[in-house]
Amino acid sequence: EPISNNPQQKHSVSAQEKGLGAGGSVSGNGRPNTAAGCGGGGGGLSGGLTQPAGWQSLLSFTILFLAWLAGFSSRLFAVIRFESIIHEFDPWFNYRSTHHLSTNGFYEFLNWFDERAWYPLGRIVGGTVYPGLMVTAGLIHYLLNLLNVTVHIRDVCVFLAPIFSGLTAISTFLLTRELWNQGAGLLAACFIAIVPGYISRSVAGSFDNEGIAIFALQFTYYLWVKSVKTGSVFWTIGCCLSYFYMVSAWGGYVFIINLIPLHVFVLLLMQRYSRRLYIAYSTFYIVGLVLSMQIPFVGFQPIRTSEHMAAAGVFALLQAYAFLQYLKDRLTKQEFQTLFFLGVSLAAGVVFLTVIYLTYTGETAATMATQHHSLAQHMPSLYFSPLPLINPIKPVILNLDTERLFDPVLSAFAVYFAGVMVRLMLTLTPVVCMLSAIAFSSVFEHYLGDDMKRENPPAEDSSDEDDKRNSGNLYDKAGKVRKHVSEQDRPEEGLGPNIKSIVTMLMLMLLMMFAVHCTWVTSNAYSSPSVVLASYNHDGSRNILDDFREAYYWLRQNTDEHARVMSWWDYGYQIAGMANRTTLVDNNTWNNSHIALVGKAMSSNESAAYEIMKSLDVDYVLIIFGGVIGYSGDDINKFLWMVRIAEGEHPKDIRESDYFTPQGEFRVDKAGSPTLLNCLMYKMSYYRFGEMQLDFRTPPGFDRTRNAEIGNKDIRLKHLEEAFTSEHWLVRIYRVKKQENRQALDHKLRNVAAKQKYTSKKTAKRKRGYVKNKLVLKKGKKLNKKSV
Amino acid sequence: MSPTLRFCPCLLLAVSWLLRAAAADGLVNEEVKRTVDLSTHLAKISAEILLANQGGSPVQSFTLALEPELGPHLAYVGASVKGEEEEDESLELKETAVHGRSGTFFQVQLPSALAAGGKLRVKVETVLTHVLRPFPSHITQAERQLVVFQGNHYLYSPYPTRSQSTRVRLASKTVESYTKLGNPSKNDEVIEYGPFKDVAPFSQDTMKIHYENNAPFLTISSITRTIEVSHWGNIAVEETIDLRHTGAYLKGPFSRYDYQRQSDSGISSVKSFKTILPASAQDVYYRDEIGNISTSHLQVLEDSVEVEVRPRFPLFGGWKTHYIIGYNLPSYEYLYTLGDQYALKMRLIDHVYDDQVIDHMTVKVILPEGARNVHLDTPYVIDRSPDQLHYTYLDTFGRPVLVATKNNLVEQHIQDMVVHYTFNKILMLQEPLLVVGAFYILFFTVIIYVRLDFSITKDPAAEVRMKVASITEQVLTLVNKRLGLYRQMDEVVNRYKQSRDTGALNSGRKTLEAEHRTLTNDIAALQARLKAEGSDLAEKVGEIQKLDGQVKELVNQSCQESERLVAGKVKKETYITSEKTLAGKRQELISRIDSLLDAL
Repeated sequence: EPISNNPQQKHSVSAQEKGLGAGGSVSGNGRPNTAAGCGGGGGGLSGGLTQPAGWQSLLSFTILFLAWLAGFSSRLFAVIRFESIIHEFDPWFNYRSTHHLSTNGFYEFLNWFDERAWYPLGRIVGGTVYPGLMVTAGLIHYLLNLLNVTVHIRDVCVFLAPIFSGLTAISTFLLTRELWNQGAGLLAACFIAIVPGYISRSVAGSFDNEGIAIFALQFTYYLWVKSVKTGSVFWTIGCCLSYFYMVSAWGGYVFIINLIPLHVFVLLLMQRYSRRLYIAYSTFYIVGLVLSMQIPFVGFQPIRTSEHMAAAGVFALLQAYAFLQYLKDRLTKQEFQTLFFLGVSLAAGVVFLTVIYLTYTGETAATMATQHHSLAQHMPSLYFSPLPLINPIKPVILNLDTERLFDPVLSAFAVYFAGVMVRLMLTLTPVVCMLSAIAFSSVFEHYLGDDMKRENPPAEDSSDEDDKRNSGNLYDKAGKVRKHVSEQDRPEEGLGPNIKSIVTMLMLMLLMMFAVHCTWVTSNAYSSPSVVLASYNHDGSRNILDDFREAYYWLRQNTDEHARVMSWWDYGYQIAGMANRTTLVDNNTWNNSHIALVGKAMSSNESAAYEIMKSLDVDYVLIIFGGVIGYSGDDINKFLWMVRIAEGEHPKDIRESDYFTPQGEFRVDKAGSPTLLNCLMYKMSYYRFGEMQLDFRTPPGFDRTRNAEIGNKDIRLKHLEEAFTSEHWLVRIYRVKKQENRQALDHKLRNVAAKQKYTSKKTAKRKRGYVKNKLVLKKGKKLNKKSV
Repeated sequence: MSPTLRFCPCLLLAVSWLLRAAAADGLVNEEVKRTVDLSTHLAKISAEILLANQGGSPVQSFTLALEPELGPHLAYVGASVKGEEEEDESLELKETAVHGRSGTFFQVQLPSALAAGGKLRVKVETVLTHVLRPFPSHITQAERQLVVFQGNHYLYSPYPTRSQSTRVRLASKTVESYTKLGNPSKNDEVIEYGPFKDVAPFSQDTMKIHYENNAPFLTISSITRTIEVSHWGNIAVEETIDLRHTGAYLKGPFSRYDYQRQSDSGISSVKSFKTILPASAQDVYYRDEIGNISTSHLQVLEDSVEVEVRPRFPLFGGWKTHYIIGYNLPSYEYLYTLGDQYALKMRLIDHVYDDQVIDHMTVKVILPEGARNVHLDTPYVIDRSPDQLHYTYLDTFGRPVLVATKNNLVEQHIQDMVVHYTFNKILMLQEPLLVVGAFYILFFTVIIYVRLDFSITKDPAAEVRMKVASITEQVLTLVNKRLGLYRQMDEVVNRYKQSRDTGALNSGRKTLEAEHRTLTNDIAALQARLKAEGSDLAEKVGEIQKLDGQVKELVNQSCQESERLVAGKVKKETYITSEKTLAGKRQELISRIDSLLDAL
């Protein structure tokens, strides 16, 4: 199929036919024309006066634009209520690296060695990130500045995800249109624009990989379906580029590289091999593989790790299949059978060996998943909210038995992955949106569009012409369920106008409630920033607790530029981003032993901790303490994690059981274990808190988070001193005291002539060598030539 | 300081010459009242001098002097003549040098010559910054801040002084020590020295006061004030400020508990201050690198807008912070125009806090793109840096930016500057035209892209398909029209049944038949074209034609039937039944045509 024959054309033609067909039927029956569906009957009677195709594209354009707008604006709650900054913890790193990229250029970014993280190890940022997000934001910033639109990189970062949500809506529209029809596409676009599962990762101010990755995901799917449909290398290359973008943006690209082979595999199983499929997959696999290896972080993973083996296997299978097909044409049946047998046994042997090899070396997805389970998710899981919607409508989908395979494959896979890893629920969201859109679309077609259908029963078949034209296609054209007139008439005869209107109303109600629900969820669950805390008074006025930024900014302004700040890893990115200071550990938790060392320092007593801190060159210690305002996400509540991680690496020094009471409780009051009451974290959290009486009903030193009076009120610090505490005590920063200077000597050091070292003959080989005619360095002016 | 100091042998000679010069002036400080205000972190020294001309000739100017130790700290000096009607007339100052004497000297031009024997009351005001030295230089949070001031008991002047008194105002009652020249009297926060009689010119005697001063020792270490003028009615002002507490350094820990619970803990720290913005200031923002500073408050007063600037954290000695404050002003209040001439009259520097000290200031005035002949008038001497270009929204060749810097400024420097420039009003159209042009190009590109075929391969099949599609479309319209004709025919027949007007029927039938014939011919022509294209649709069209013929026959039949009915040749019942069968047949045919049409 040629390149120029794009879907729009085809669609407009078929739409025109539809419109005119409706017109014809109207004249035949003399019934009034009812505009049904998406502008189908817009230009019905007069034919040439108005162009239905024009109406249709205008309508879809408007709907898509509005979906974009709705998606964009519903993500702005946090920005409007608070301000245009990066609101979450993790994205601060992304923002910081984007800032680095935009100020120092792309190559500097790729080669960036961040000495401000993981002190003293540092981090090679360019090689350990998916750079897609930063490059996208940097590119937009660069382009805007090229056009003299002086937007700050921060604003680009803040609004990137909402803008990309619009692109996601459009690519979802394209994909659904390819899989089903235009109407379902528009519905899907509207759904994905406001669905909370996706909003959770793409609100303004959350500058996360997922924000752009979902767009790349959907767009890659679209291009893949397109390329399988057309078998054109053009679309496949487009698909590869989109895949490349996806790889550069998010680790979830593994999802694609498994899904597409699965699709191909299922098609092969169903005997739907075609040359188009062969062209599409072979091109995709090779070009996609090469492209994906260009990302430094991915490197050689695509040919090494087991997650990518499915793709390789299917590639080999497809080649074998194609080869057999070729041979089939050339050989007699007998020859072919022998050959086939041989080939199959050979392949089985290879597969067997591969499996054995992989079980020894490969890392399986399951272990990955369990690793991720241990990480706490910041967002409440309201991911499932769009799911109930689809359930009642599922039978409809099942009734409409079609051959569009991609959809079921995609959904099955997504459900599986979402089950394995909660975070991957994100990949399920678009699928759910598409499926429910299809369901709604069919329901509406059924109940709204039947007037037209009855008057003009074969209206559906009008598009069959397309079908015949592209009879070689794997997938049917949109909305061409072949039904006979008589069949179609029968069930609809029973549908009175009342039922129709009731069903329609119900559906509309459902959609409306869905929109309201989505907005509610977005506004309540996903739009409260974690950088700024807000509390509301009785009269509804708002109190902003800006302690995090207060303390971070204090660090930024009033500590040495190269000061090293020790804190638990949760705050690493923020300290690096907002305070611009060197951290020991951060949210990129790549070095467990380093984290364990920090955990050990936090959970040891002060003098032991001081040794660790001295060895790590720590200047400041930052902790989060919520006891004054009742903030539950503070370090004491996370403390057991520190202990556990420290115990994992240093089982001799730290034992989790020491921190529990004999009854096995974790208590901060008098009954708490003495180890806990004297560890550094406890001391730093409650330093001088014992004197503080928060209100008259509670004793001094009453911890509001844990609702207990603290057990150790007389805390003295020897090696640390309080450097800063924020207004609501949320962030406390301690300075590690330098060792006191020794007394200066009042006499000169004795000058001892170094003895000639005696070297025995036995160790003669090890004696220090000397160079004959050794060059003598003359100190003086350096020549212009730069020495290496 | 002065190069003469280094040439000691010359010194004596110079001094004698100078004394002669002073004597030649014949000026004498008859009576001097000095006030040294040390209640803030500035030293504001004002002196009321009764100048007497005891020489023989009128005097046009006199010389002001400042001690060499204080010279570098001088931020502002001003002299005014005390008029009779309470109105002070400020005098013009010019920095000069006096041979053989170190120090800073200014020549003050008198409004009118002071005749011999005449007397004149002059008020001199000097503001010195960073002269109060915290001592001890490091204090803990609980301690109070003590500072040392080192000055001169006498008025440093090239003229002899007959009588002088000095009054020192302190920040608090607590004074550690002070020099006791002439047995001064101390009363609460005021120390009075003098009167000293007959003081020789250039007399110096160190006055040293060590006292408690908890006033906010805030210093703006650098400020960049950007004024962006837009001819669309807005002036945007943005100040980037580096703020520092230059009092005694905080030693040891900072305890939030003490700070919250004890009122005198950290008494010398700065919690907040007020910035006064112009009354028309709008959209005020106060932020830093990591976002909005949520601790500020804004109060709109009648004659100003007051921002309570609260840094994110209290500022203790040695701590610093950095912030950006910005607002918009309507340009009609500050921008004056006459033809192509424009003048912007705005404050060179504005209020940040009371008794402000600015170590380093940069002012940038961004003028609209196309402004020429720029000329800057400043109230005091200021260093101009080379002009820059600034590119922002919809700029093509850049906006001219005036850059000026100055060090060591205080409140007295809040004065207006005037920027003159010419601007061709036609340039106002540039930006809208740019937008229009951009959209034009965008739409034009889309139009071109949609209309033209950019495919590199030619696909005859697709072309044929499209051709067929267009023909089919025409066929569809025609067939529909034709079907419409039948309906019209029905109407004609119905009318005929009521009116029984055979003539009308015949004429109607004739016209419709004529139309029908043309339509049928057209469709046949299209069918032929379809055939030529090799499309199998031609057959379908042929079928439609065939069916249509049948339909037409049926229509004719029904017409005849109705004629017969009207003529009374058939009974009504038979007519109805036959009509029904005909209609049924017709319906069937039409639906078949429809299905064929849809199949097209």
